Amino acid sequence: MTTTATLLAARGVSKSFFGNPVLRNVSIALQPGRVHALLGENGAGKSTLINLLSGALRPDGGAIEVDGRPVSRMSPAHARHAGIAVVQQELSLTASLSIAENIGLGAYPKRFGLVDYTELAARARAACDLVGLREPLSTPVGHLSLGRRQMVEIAKALYRRPRVLILDEPTSSLSATETKTLTDLLERLRAEGIAILYISHRLNEVMTLCQHVTVLKDGACTADQSLEETDAAGLVRLMVGRDPGDLFPRWRPSPSPASAISVRNFSAGLMRDVDLDIRTGEVLGIGGLVGQGQEDLLLGLYGAIPARTASATVNGASGLPGGVPSANALGLAYVPADRKREGLHLIHPIITNMMLPAFARLPALKLRSRRAERDMARGLAAQLAIKGDLDRPAQALSGGNQQKVALAKWMPHDPLVLLLNDPTRGVDVETKREIYMMLRNLAAAGKAIVLLSSDTPELVHLCDRVAVVREGRIKAMLEREALSEEAIVSAAMGAEQQKVAA
Amino acid sequence: MTARKESARGRRALTILRSRPFLTVAIVAAVWIAASFASRGFGAYGHLRYLVELGAVIGLVAAGQTFVVIAGGIDLSVAAIVTVSAVSLPLLSLQADPTGLTAVLAVLALTTAIGLVNGLGVALLRVHPMIMTLAMATFLQGLLIIIAGGSAVTAENPLVRWLGNARPAGIPAGVLLWVAISVIVLTTMHATSLGARIFAMGANPLAAALSGVSVASTTLAVYGISGFCSGLAGMLVLGMNGQGYVGIGDPYLLASIAAVVLGGTSILGGLGTYAGTIPGAILLVTITALITVVNASPGWRSILFGSLILGLLLLSGREQARR
Repeated sequence: MTTTATLLAARGVSKSFFGNPVLRNVSIALQPGRVHALLGENGAGKSTLINLLSGALRPDGGAIEVDGRPVSRMSPAHARHAGIAVVQQELSLTASLSIAENIGLGAYPKRFGLVDYTELAARARAACDLVGLREPLSTPVGHLSLGRRQMVEIAKALYRRPRVLILDEPTSSLSATETKTLTDLLERLRAEGIAILYISHRLNEVMTLCQHVTVLKDGACTADQSLEETDAAGLVRLMVGRDPGDLFPRWRPSPSPASAISVRNFSAGLMRDVDLDIRTGEVLGIGGLVGQGQEDLLLGLYGAIPARTASATVNGASGLPGGVPSANALGLAYVPADRKREGLHLIHPIITNMMLPAFARLPALKLRSRRAERDMARGLAAQLAIKGDLDRPAQALSGGNQQKVALAKWMPHDPLVLLLNDPTRGVDVETKREIYMMLRNLAAAGKAIVLLSSDTPELVHLCDRVAVVREGRIKAMLEREALSEEAIVSAAMGAEQQKVAA
Repeated sequence: MTARKESARGRRALTILRSRPFLTVAIVAAVWIAASFASRGFGAYGHLRYLVELGAVIGLVAAGQTFVVIAGGIDLSVAAIVTVSAVSLPLLSLQADPTGLTAVLAVLALTTAIGLVNGLGVALLRVHPMIMTLAMATFLQGLLIIIAGGSAVTAENPLVRWLGNARPAGIPAGVLLWVAISVIVLTTMHATSLGARIFAMGANPLAAALSGVSVASTTLAVYGISGFCSGLAGMLVLGMNGQGYVGIGDPYLLASIAAVVLGGTSILGGLGTYAGTIPGAILLVTITALITVVNASPGWRSILFGSLILGLLLLSGREQARR
């Protein structure tokens, strides 16, 4: 079909973990000058395939080929040598090192056996310019927001001048502008003849950026075709194995709104002088560019960071909760964005993860009942369709199931206000749908849902109102009738003010 | 149905056989059997009973240390607290109380308070546990030198003397105390919500805090428990020894941490059990006894002891990499 040489390929590879087949006879071929999309739900085997291609894992069967020649013992070192660079979904940066040091890590330019910092700075600067990173190179990576760290990760891959670039959900934490920079960059790299493998859950990105697609479902390849032959709905059908239903549940107005949280002149972290009323029975969206202080708003209300306010009423009690335990006692619950770092205890069994809020509020020396815990956890797992043995550590779960566990642990306590920080980030379509259904049902049951999200369609279709945050202030409160992606984005970028001024 | 039940039981048996506590018990048994063939007196009931009695002191100190390590910290002040207990108890022996109970309770309150101060420093002042407890140890040592000086003090406390020397039903009272404490510790660790909070805090303090666990009070609790346990151990040492002196607790710092780690508790926190620390403590006194049998000079004994602990840790599996 094509005459271009394949740079990197997997031929009929299989891989099992502890007897569970994760990949079955999967083939994929990456060609220069092509952006190849890899799609599939969480747990479909995408990450395993990347690990095979980059030498982090060895296949049980089949072969990995570099430049058309099978490599019998592929290793990460071999992959680097062959010009294969991977941008992992789990950021692999060292927080205390500077941007330049992170970018060059493992491949520092040497002079007389010492690190040549001048040369490192020059080459790191070049890589940063490509991705639009303008922060000083000496900034510790720990000081950057998640989106900027993602850009450092990409710069780190580019620093090595790869021939094959593998990106695992690079845009899940990027703002709209950053995403635009990245897609422009990838277009340019493609034109230079680099082979790119692109993994994303955002289908519109895939449709505009990629030329070829491979779809995985339950470890098997369900499509390997040109993207021109299909559309977004077709892709979802290939991933899910059925016709895509409406992703968002039907919106219904809540019957009788009452005040759940009301704050005046609220300040916490980056947020300044916020007046906000959160009502029961509604899903209140929090939108805006990444890192404008939205997270501090949730954490401040939750009592997790210090906050000041002129007056506050939380579920009938006056004053803000002084700490997380008192916030929990007032009926507040918080689901963090970074589920691995903040939401879950990865090394502990799923069941103890689910029970933790209960342990936190029971009397300290009260004896546990393993049977009651197991019954409750089984009920939660059934309710949220969490698959698998509850005694396994939480790290064995796929991203979507981990998110469900992070949500499930609050359900037995029937929280009146759920503060959710980007609950669908890196979550597959099917789980997204389940989470959306759940949120609407909870709102219909008279709970207040505060949904901080970086996914604009989600804000438009799921929320009753959306507060758009920019520079630590709520710049716009969009009511249901006024909700559209354009309205949210323009408020987030500060475009509406210019319009008013004009 | 029955087949499934049996396979579940088989799996549970296999899990126990593969667990670190069991492995440590197996190593202790192997060493005991080998040593009794090699050396005539080693396997005698009296000698083994003596080993367990010595193990009780390490076991008590290591009980608190296990809690602290699982909670993600470390307590480097245990040796100093053992000494505080063993030196201050004779000074406190009151004529008015013939049983000696008042003095015992007062000293336990004192050592628990020292532990709580450690906890306050770690939880509220956010001093790193290593710095906080090491500073506390240095502080206590200075205080002890001022109060007790270089001389040994003799205990006149009847309760403590009973604890160190009595053998109800042929079992040393110290061992009985260790058994009782072990039951309480294992119950608290694995069957109460406080235990679950400690594990959660050690595995991921941020996620624990966001789930509503009060990190400050949990931290206070583990260091307080450690102070209490070291205080008990100090009394046992005093009872067995008859005299308390500055430096009496020194061997128990490395020993308590080694017992915790030999028992399979993760030094990174969040994983482990006191059920492993118990055979770990017995293994340590066994090694010490074996080295004494070899009849080497004190310098070589220390070198052998350190090397053997390292060797055993390599043998029984190093810490698995965590993501």
